[in-house]
Amino acid sequence: MENSAEMQRFIEQEQQKAMMSEMVGKLTSVCWDKCITSTPGSKFSSGETTCLTNCAQRFLDMSVIIAKRFEMQ
Amino acid sequence: MDSFSSSSGPPPNTEALMDQIKAQLAQAYAQEFLETVGNKCFAKCVTKPGSSLSGSESSCISRCVDRYIEATGIVSRALFSSTR
Repeated sequence: MENSAEMQRFIEQEQQKAMMSEMVGKLTSVCWDKCITSTPGSKFSSGETTCLTNCAQRFLDMSVIIAKRFEMQ
Repeated sequence: MDSFSSSSGPPPNTEALMDQIKAQLAQAYAQEFLETVGNKCFAKCVTKPGSSLSGSESSCISRCVDRYIEATGIVSRALFSSTR
């Protein structure tokens, strides 16, 4: 049945999207707490923007290190 | 409802099911986002709850919501569209 293949593909796609969305949501929460320390203004300062970008990318770097650390054992 | 009886073409309910799943997922994402934004902005803007929300608390909340949406975009770009 070609439908079940189509459905299978659809579900895989949505799972992928859900994973990404969860990751973005979690990192936004973590990095918001770290980087936005004052009351939110009408515009981010360049420092806040940079901090958010760095925070997200360093979190990824850290995940890699942690994964490697466990591979070593 | 007698669409099942037609012998040619895929059963039409696959697409309907996908649409339904998509709609429910969209609602779930929105709900989760709303909850998170609410928690973050309440923490930032309503530090000492009074008998009603003050004007400055309200404007802080609307700025906070805008910034949180912006932050989501920044984080998302940092993760997915960077050439690293």
